[in-house]
Amino acid sequence: MAKDTYLKKILGNDRYSRVRQTKILMVGAGGIGCELLKDLVLTGYGEIHIVDLDTITLSNLNRQFLFRHHDIDKSKSLTVAKAVDSFNYFDTKLVPHHGNIMDAKQFPITWWSQFSYIFNALDNLEARRYVNRMCLYLKTPLMESGTTGFDGQIQPIYPYYSECFDCQSKVTPKTFPVCTIRSTPSQPVHCITWAKEFLFHQLFDEVDSSAGGLNDAAKIKSETDDKDEIENMTKEFNELVDLRKLIFNSDARTFFTELVNKIFKVDVERLLLIETLWKSRQKPVPLIITQYEQDLIRILDDQTELQKIFGDETKVWSTLENLVILFKASESLQRRLQGEESFLSFDKDDEDTLNFVTASANLRSIIFNIEVKSKFDIKQIAGNIIPAIATTNAIISGFSSLSGTNYFKYDFEETQDFSRIYQESSSIFISIKPNKYITSASLVGPNERCPTSSIARGLLKLTPVEVKELSLKWLVDKLIEQYDYADEAVALILGKSRLIYDVDFDDNLEKRLGDLSGFTDGELLMVQDDDGELESIELYISIVEDHESDYLPQIKLGPKKAITEESSNGSSGAPDVATDTIVIDEEDEDLVEVTEPVVKKRKIEVEVL
Amino acid sequence: MSKDEALTADEIALYDRQIRLWGMATQLRLRSAKVLIVNVGGVGTEIVKNLVLGGLNSIELLDSSVVKEEDFAAQFFLPNDDSIIGQPKLPIIVEKIKELNNRVKLNINTTPLESIFEDPSYFKQFDLIIATELNRSQLFALNQHTRALSIPLYATGLHGLFGYIITDLIEHYSTPQKEAGNQLREPNTKINRSKTITKVDFDKGSNTETLTILDEFVPIPQIFKSKELPNQLNKRQLKRLSASFPLIFSLFEFEKPLNPEDVIDKELLRAKGIQLCEQYGIPTASITEEYLDMFSNQAFTEYSPVAAVLGGTLAQDVIQFLSKKESPINNVLILDSVKSEMPIYLL
Ligand SMILES: [Zn+2]
Repeated sequence: MAKDTYLKKILGNDRYSRVRQTKILMVGAGGIGCELLKDLVLTGYGEIHIVDLDTITLSNLNRQFLFRHHDIDKSKSLTVAKAVDSFNYFDTKLVPHHGNIMDAKQFPITWWSQFSYIFNALDNLEARRYVNRMCLYLKTPLMESGTTGFDGQIQPIYPYYSECFDCQSKVTPKTFPVCTIRSTPSQPVHCITWAKEFLFHQLFDEVDSSAGGLNDAAKIKSETDDKDEIENMTKEFNELVDLRKLIFNSDARTFFTELVNKIFKVDVERLLLIETLWKSRQKPVPLIITQYEQDLIRILDDQTELQKIFGDETKVWSTLENLVILFKASESLQRRLQGEESFLSFDKDDEDTLNFVTASANLRSIIFNIEVKSKFDIKQIAGNIIPAIATTNAIISGFSSLSGTNYFKYDFEETQDFSRIYQESSSIFISIKPNKYITSASLVGPNERCPTSSIARGLLKLTPVEVKELSLKWLVDKLIEQYDYADEAVALILGKSRLIYDVDFDDNLEKRLGDLSGFTDGELLMVQDDDGELESIELYISIVEDHESDYLPQIKLGPKKAITEESSNGSSGAPDVATDTIVIDEEDEDLVEVTEPVVKKRKIEVEVL
Repeated sequence: MSKDEALTADEIALYDRQIRLWGMATQLRLRSAKVLIVNVGGVGTEIVKNLVLGGLNSIELLDSSVVKEEDFAAQFFLPNDDSIIGQPKLPIIVEKIKELNNRVKLNINTTPLESIFEDPSYFKQFDLIIATELNRSQLFALNQHTRALSIPLYATGLHGLFGYIITDLIEHYSTPQKEAGNQLREPNTKINRSKTITKVDFDKGSNTETLTILDEFVPIPQIFKSKELPNQLNKRQLKRLSASFPLIFSLFEFEKPLNPEDVIDKELLRAKGIQLCEQYGIPTASITEEYLDMFSNQAFTEYSPVAAVLGGTLAQDVIQFLSKKESPINNVLILDSVKSEMPIYLL
């Protein structure tokens, strides 16, 4: 076969034959995934599993080049696997899975353990953190990657040798004080947040009293002492509950009129009565619907006019146009709730919900003298859309596969000693300057304060019979024997927070493991040294028909790290203080540039599809 | 469609995620751009994919080659079918490319480049030309025509883990917006040999300056005999300069082997590399055994991830060029994926 002449020349025969025999996993088949899968297939990998839970949408097609118009609404993972068939020149075996990577039933740890390398091509923090933790349990190397607009980065992760995904804190979405959203907005985003998370949510979504935190009494009290303001918020909220009832027992016009009257007139007039709010702010101007009623009725009957308004999403709508949109959207949402659907959640791709949020946010902006935005712009803010382009994804996927394939330079079949490959690898950031296009940075060891990698991890392997027969005492003894806890003092926490054993609580000792509620496959067991000397180990309970003789990971526990156990147990939170020590290849950079990749790295979220 | 005609709702929906990045005006500029791509090998495949997705007006592919066995390394528009070996490449791949985005007009032309040179007015129909995998005489000849016709030219090629982009874009005006500092920038300030601020518009409200920047380019043969490199690098950078730069330029003196198994003679490559280092005024010590081995082995080979990085970078720069927002690459970019470096030199 001469098709692979080039691959042999470039990778060398040894590496190429390792690549041919290896089984890898790619998580995510979107913007990066399409590009990456192409590169991996053309590198000749033996077997590639692909996991994605998403389906294809129109806005994917500008960059996810394996998808076509006729693929819209189909499964991404199944579609990519089929699409690369046309250039699967080296007969890679492709195994797609349509599902959520965090589903431990569909993807138990035994499934994960078949892969020698994992590529992340994900768009959300939760899933990336999950894959990162799985790789720490299994000591599987991971390639992390992300893009946003022109920026992008890759980060090779060698578990416990280099920084993990959680070692550097990530930017969390900005939140606003409840009072700003509910009483005193001053920016378009405040009105959009109000429209989406408060108004829309309370009227149409699944009922919960918290209103996404926007009616949280404790939170409101922590922000303001103004009794009038607090009282007003409660009143507003209760009336909204009444309005919701109207959806079911009134016609569209009544519902709309009541809605506009309450939300954009009565509520605003009441706010105006709280004079303290307006001492240093411009006063809002209540919307008087009667002014617009005639025009509104005329336009609602005029199909051409309606089409014209709805047709231009990049235009900034007038008050009247926003009222038209609001009417049509609330009419439609009302009809849907009266029909099959029991509740409606905001979805940027659900036109009715987006129209409602756009129009109500804009009407609020008009009242509060804030800039009005086009539907196109509001969609981006309300839908957390991150711009994404084909070229950045191609570049980052290219580096991801290059760097991942570098791992197969050495034979890791027997050992998981990553000390050499870790020294030879680097993170890469796109950083376009007149004199260079990328910046690379040597990897550094795990962050001591990282809640994820500052504790040891591994598998606790048991057969179903052993779970039924062996007692908790057996397990405690086994742990003490394996890890040398002084004074035999350990504490065992099952799942999120259930203490099942410590020196002062031995009630469960004689119980069989299977009789402890929650002791199931895929559950986590945290083992802490009560003397506080050894680091904690988090065990992933893996119940399999047969396992090799080892029950516990053969590792030596190091000294306890600085991080407190509470924050590490089961949580995925990042350290609040980042100790960012990205080491730039020293000789290459001047001081000004050293800080840049760190900022970039924090800034980078992945593309939202 | 003309530049003045607004984007349709369908176009906005399709290009949503990129319009949110570069704006409607850039998308309109892309929609009116006519581009020629010479040779559709590994890197050409990536470039055409990216530009078709981006939404150009039209792309003409010029390539007279037939499908070879080694083309299956990185040219993913080829069907997985050995019986096409020996057949003209473009007619086989064109439909597959069209599927990516039927809004872009795609033409194919299987005339040999040398015949095109006999009537260079052919090039006039294009706003921009991207030439891939040319040898030196082809590159110089093409550049002579693009210079004469004032058409911007990008040249690029792959050597396994390495690659290059060379640009002669004649001249380019961009209008970046910068935050204003304590001291306002002055019009007619020369930033370096090729870059001049020609205009400064200060907006007090937002405290930003909109600059007009002129980037000037030199003809490509001048790049091949430039003495500028030592002036752009400090001592340390010069010392750790990768051999990929002199070796990539050395390979312009060699022909691609007919048999893909063949390698480039290492000693000839060494001699040429050293000669080029001396000519460019850079240390010959950069020419290491490791790099000579890699280059003699990987010269002219194609590897998909490297094609993706290089083709992504080039297509992105073409979009940058057309959008007129920032300066494009001027004038040599080297991709060294062993050292994970992509330096840009102004030669
Ligand atoms: Zn970590």
